[in-house]
Amino acid sequence: MAKKLGKKARKFARKGLQTVQKQKRKQRTFFKKKSAPRGRGLNGEAPDENEENLNHERNVSQLDQNVGGGHVFDKNIGNLLGEEDEVELEDDFSDSDGYLSEDTECPYISENENENISRDDTARGTFQEENTEIKMQIAKQKKELDKLLAKDKEFAKFLESRRSQLEQYDRMVSDDEEVEGDEEEEEEEEQEEQTRQPVTQTTLDVWCWLVTEDPNSPALRNLLNLYHNASLFGVITSRNEKSAQIVSHEVYSTVINFVLCEADGIFRALLGVAENSNAERILMKLKSSKEWLNVGPLVKSYFKSSIKLLNQVTDTMLLVFLLFRLMSSVVFLHAFSSLGRRLIKILVRFWSTGEDQLSTSAFLLMKEVASQLSSDYFNICMKAMYRTFVARCKFVDDSNLARIDFMKSSFLEITSLDVQQSYLVAVSSLQRLGDVVKHSSTTKKKEDLMKINNWQYINCLNLWVKFICLNYKENNLQQLFDKAVRVIFGVTSLFTGPRFLPLKLKCAQMLNDLSLTSGHFIPVSSLVFECLDLTGGVTGKMDGDEEPRLKLSTLLKVPGNLLKSRRFQEECVRSSVEVLCTHFSQWSFHVSLPELSTIPLILLKRCHEKATVESVRRLIKRFIDQAEQNRDFLQMKRDGVSFSPNDQTSIDNFLLLEKSNAKSTFTQFYASMLQNSQIRNMVK
Amino acid sequence: MGKRRKVILPPELPPETPDEEFEISDEDVEFFSENRSFTNFLASFDKKKIDKHVTRVADKSEDEIERLYERRNRNNAPLDSRENDLQVDPVDALPIKTLDGKLQYRTTKNVRSEEGNVSTDLTGEEDGEKQGTNLIRLTKAERNKKLKKEKKEAKKLKEDEDIAPNSPKEKLRSEVLKEVEEEISAEESFGAKKIKLAEIGMALLEGPEANIRSLKELLDFCKDRDPQVVKLGLMSMLAVFKDIIPSYRIRELTDKELAMPVSEAVRKTRYYEYTLLRSYKSYLQKLIELQKEAIFKLVAVRCMCTLLEAAPHFNLSEKLLAGTVRNISSSDDVIRKLCCEAIKSLFKNEGKHGGEGTVHAVRLIAQLVKKHNCQLHPDSLEVFLSLRFDEDLGKHENKAEEKNKFTKNKKGKQEPMKHLPPSEKKKSKQELIAKTRGEVYADYKAVSFAPDSEKRQRMQSDTLSAVFETYFRILKHAVDASDPRFMSETSGFHAQPLLAPCLEGLGKFSHLIDLDFMADLMSCLKQLSGFSSGTHLQSKTFNVKNSDSNRSYNGLTVSERLQCCIVAFKIMKSNLDALNVDLQDFFMQLYNLLLEYRPYRDRGEVLAEALKTMLWDGRQHDMQRAAAFIKRLATFSLSFGSSEAMTALATLKQLLQKNTKCRSLLENDAGGGSISGLVVKYQPEATDPYLSGALASVLWELSLLSKHYNPSVSQMASNILSMTNLKPTQNIVNPSLIALNPIQAFWESTVQKELLKPMNAKVPPSLKRKRKREQDTEYNVLDPQKLRNIDSEVIGEEEVKLRFEEHFKVLRDISENERFKGELNRTLASISLYDEFKREKLEKERSVALKSGKKKAKVLVKHSSSS
Repeated sequence: MAKKLGKKARKFARKGLQTVQKQKRKQRTFFKKKSAPRGRGLNGEAPDENEENLNHERNVSQLDQNVGGGHVFDKNIGNLLGEEDEVELEDDFSDSDGYLSEDTECPYISENENENISRDDTARGTFQEENTEIKMQIAKQKKELDKLLAKDKEFAKFLESRRSQLEQYDRMVSDDEEVEGDEEEEEEEEQEEQTRQPVTQTTLDVWCWLVTEDPNSPALRNLLNLYHNASLFGVITSRNEKSAQIVSHEVYSTVINFVLCEADGIFRALLGVAENSNAERILMKLKSSKEWLNVGPLVKSYFKSSIKLLNQVTDTMLLVFLLFRLMSSVVFLHAFSSLGRRLIKILVRFWSTGEDQLSTSAFLLMKEVASQLSSDYFNICMKAMYRTFVARCKFVDDSNLARIDFMKSSFLEITSLDVQQSYLVAVSSLQRLGDVVKHSSTTKKKEDLMKINNWQYINCLNLWVKFICLNYKENNLQQLFDKAVRVIFGVTSLFTGPRFLPLKLKCAQMLNDLSLTSGHFIPVSSLVFECLDLTGGVTGKMDGDEEPRLKLSTLLKVPGNLLKSRRFQEECVRSSVEVLCTHFSQWSFHVSLPELSTIPLILLKRCHEKATVESVRRLIKRFIDQAEQNRDFLQMKRDGVSFSPNDQTSIDNFLLLEKSNAKSTFTQFYASMLQNSQIRNMVK
Repeated sequence: MGKRRKVILPPELPPETPDEEFEISDEDVEFFSENRSFTNFLASFDKKKIDKHVTRVADKSEDEIERLYERRNRNNAPLDSRENDLQVDPVDALPIKTLDGKLQYRTTKNVRSEEGNVSTDLTGEEDGEKQGTNLIRLTKAERNKKLKKEKKEAKKLKEDEDIAPNSPKEKLRSEVLKEVEEEISAEESFGAKKIKLAEIGMALLEGPEANIRSLKELLDFCKDRDPQVVKLGLMSMLAVFKDIIPSYRIRELTDKELAMPVSEAVRKTRYYEYTLLRSYKSYLQKLIELQKEAIFKLVAVRCMCTLLEAAPHFNLSEKLLAGTVRNISSSDDVIRKLCCEAIKSLFKNEGKHGGEGTVHAVRLIAQLVKKHNCQLHPDSLEVFLSLRFDEDLGKHENKAEEKNKFTKNKKGKQEPMKHLPPSEKKKSKQELIAKTRGEVYADYKAVSFAPDSEKRQRMQSDTLSAVFETYFRILKHAVDASDPRFMSETSGFHAQPLLAPCLEGLGKFSHLIDLDFMADLMSCLKQLSGFSSGTHLQSKTFNVKNSDSNRSYNGLTVSERLQCCIVAFKIMKSNLDALNVDLQDFFMQLYNLLLEYRPYRDRGEVLAEALKTMLWDGRQHDMQRAAAFIKRLATFSLSFGSSEAMTALATLKQLLQKNTKCRSLLENDAGGGSISGLVVKYQPEATDPYLSGALASVLWELSLLSKHYNPSVSQMASNILSMTNLKPTQNIVNPSLIALNPIQAFWESTVQKELLKPMNAKVPPSLKRKRKREQDTEYNVLDPQKLRNIDSEVIGEEEVKLRFEEHFKVLRDISENERFKGELNRTLASISLYDEFKREKLEKERSVALKSGKKKAKVLVKHSSSS
């Protein structure tokens, strides 16, 4: 049943999308007539305005579909995205149908003995029971109808006249298939003319054998056609009784399995490139060689069918298998840009919604696509991923924390493939994020503040901060860094009061990250002072230990009832101590650490005096002790040197040795503290 | 009253009545017999003017009047049948329609009250008639006619009422009809009223003198039942008054003046002024009255504020002021803003009213503050900041005189040298000249509108005393509240809403404070800024109890305490050295407040101002203190955002420049240096700058600050660091940065300003572009091990085969299921179609039957109904 549900859900999702697409496609053809012929480049040319609007509209609706439910920030998604949108797919499939012309020589072996489709092997019995029940009902109703017919001779005529009306009932049932079919209308059309004989297991075996013996064998075309049929299996049978060649489950699975496993090798053999030769060589081949003329259509059919299959199959493991098989032949996609885009779309869907394994393998395949093929593919991938990420990070709770984390890091993986390209996206996105802050800081309206105080915004900001951190060292990202710091400070300046502490702590963490990678000094400590001021005076009842731990990582704004609770204060102090810890540990061997820690330590001591909860007191006390130790150590060392503050090189070299050793207790303390925080922030 | 409600209609001409039918009221007869001279107006009766007056609307536009008449007729239509029977004059028999769609038949009571009104009006008119112009008489005559007409109407209505019950059915129908019509006409009448308002307004603006009477009509609009109309009326009157109010105050005429015979022109003007004043008065009354009603409040307040701004010199401005000040602390933002703006403009444009308004307003505000025990909106006190005091007033003249004397003396010195023997004749001539000069001056003074400087000075001192009274009251209140004994009552809530504007005002006007108050004031400020040597420990305990850490133990925010310090310094500065008060306590406050400061909670600009007034502007500081502040500011800038850091660094730099000896802090002198103070080792947590031992420290902070993410901060830090190499007398490294004072530095680098910095969209040249293929197994963020595992998790072929088979079966079953369902549905539909089929069959048969005969059909119908 789970399977069925999954399928239904996915069908629904696709259906939703398709209606939009359908409409769009109609309009698109209209526009296309006007616009200049599209070049090979995927989005090299500037899309005309209408198209852009359309794309934007589509985007919004698509995102809505994905998440289901509007959100304040919705309007901003478009803004957060890069300027130009992906040029949509769909313009293929007209140049060739799914089928390849077959060689008639190929043997068809029809034996009837093993074609008796025994019903007892039906899967899982879910539909079996229902089907038999329906069958019985049909029999009953038929009997009644027959009676009526017998009673009144004219009724038969009447029924005949109403045939068209009755047909509708049929269609109503397979309604969702209709929409699906919309996508595959070409196939449907030529399905009419196709009257193929069913392929038996034996025939298939022979074909497989033929192909393995000689890749050039005409049976390959038959096999690929069969594969294509298999990919359409669920769709076609529902409407056309005459159904395709595949009647037995063995044939179905064998053909898919065989094609998936062998196709790559066969294609390579046909093209005459070695099994593990690198992509450049293949690409060269693709462009020039004569062999490609022959092999090209085969490859295309293979990809097209595979993509269909991806749409059809619901089983995660099967999907993973499919993706894994497709990975090796990604290079060939270079020739079929529209198929590539289609594939990316499916992959992004798997990546963002699929189960653990599926999303990972989807990501792997996507990475392959982005890295093996031209930079256009990279762009499409990156933008589609970013868009999906933006749409999917509106809410954060325990359940999707890991997913968002995964999305973030896999997106970063992709972007780091080509920093130059992603830099542009980063610039425009950060610019937009900055604009939102700028606007809000002038208006100070509540709805404008809401645009910032939500997960979507924070997650996006965090994403780019991570991007900067990842690539700062090897690249010149000073501009991005400056902008990001400014935006983060802008965000913190907008929110005051204890309720926004989690937000501030998050900002502080980001600043710490930035500071750590860039080596610039960023004054983070003032962000946690507010938090330290807050402690003390727990008014709420003392929660029992069994109370679940409050997770600040899933909160932006603290609900009012928690403000005075012990849990919240504990978490707040812990997080702010962690922030300070990172801050101190970064500069723990810098000559001015004693001064750096002066004010925070004064406040911490005050906080320690005020705190009433024992655990909080203990935590603060430990930190104070370690920080003081650090301070004293540095002061002692400092007293022994003779250089002045303006001697930058000496300062840089100060205590380098100790730094590399890092055996002092306070460094260990900092390290363990940070480790703990990482563990705590991970999903259980 | 009813008549007036239908204002849109041109006044109905009274029905043609023969002269002998006129009854003359006893009152009138009496009046005219008493004042026989008044009757001569009849001789100069201007019939044209009457006509014009009566049919004014018709004159304006014929279409309009046609429309109005048409509508009136339409309204009459349903009544016509009945009225014809009754033979009632259609004009008089009209019921009154109210705007809410009710019908009012004129009752006797109504009429009586009308009569009363009219008579009171008349008596009022009689006062006016003493000034006697044609216009009044005209209305008098009109009124007589009206009165009669109304009496008549009353009679007729009585009849009406008697007869009405006889035809209830008729009445019902007509009433319903009327209701519908009135609903329609309510909208129309609103439109018409608007038009009328505009017409009157335009007429008034075109020729105020000729049309001054229409003010009264306008005023009547303000009594309309429709609030919309009232609002419009108020607004149009406002526009009119704003335009026609003269630039002088209208003086009440004395009896003597009234008795004197005057020329026509003067009489006209007097009448004009009188009418204007009277309607202005009633307009103000109306405003004050309406101000109490929620729906009209905003409009009324807006009118008052605009009037106050436009005509603060005019009569009755006291009333306006009182009304405005009353709303100055309104909880409604819009109203409060309006009032505050009005008062501010009053203060700024003193020339308009010669300063009297200012004194009055300030006094009123002072009273308000007193009455509300200092619990008002801060905006209401902020208006004081717009006050301007002319310090040179009075002095100016003295100086001029002195100057004159001086020059005279000079001249005098020279003159006697030339003409040693001063002749008597010349002397007397000079005296004469002086005397005439004096006379001329006195005359000029008497004539000129501007109050003399003496008066102005007096007013100014009045204003000042009221302002300071208010300020001191607030301070006192704050001091009282900060007393720990009252803590329990005031804590938790911002107890001193007025303190911030009060302190600001004190700072602004510090140079005007009387020296006598100085000592008291300083002690107040000291207390408020949080200085109390013994209570520091106490404060901690209070902090513990009072979880609201935003406030210190005395209930003031950090910004407010900083402001106290600023004020104290300003006062001291402006009264330079007049008092010898040690400001050390305030320095100590600042020193400690630097630790209390929180960005975004406290106002950074106040901090910047404090740093500027106390440290940046100051003279040479004591070395110990300067060093302590330098050190603390450096530490401070390590922990706070870039704008705070910039402020601190700007101050620090200035301090270093002024106190050359403190530059030793920039160098790490091995043995602590020659100039260590009392305390040998630096105590970063000390509360007293003198005891911090900052001279023994080194400004290591700057080395870290030069790594600051913000380029301007890091530049500033390196800039300061480079001061080490300067000789003690040398100054300034980078002239561009030294110009920055702490306040400028603060605003230069606020977050908002930073955000405005554009970003270059160009890709920097050194961006890495990984040429991929080789590195596709390399992972930066994700755990590579985990990814590699994915490969191994891919299921084997056998498993795949099985699963695909399973998948196939599911697909097959699903499609089969769908097929079956379709079939089932089709069958069911066919069965259900049978019913339809039968019905159609029947119908066919019936149509056949219909042709064959009616009887058969009947049977069939029966049959079908039974089936």
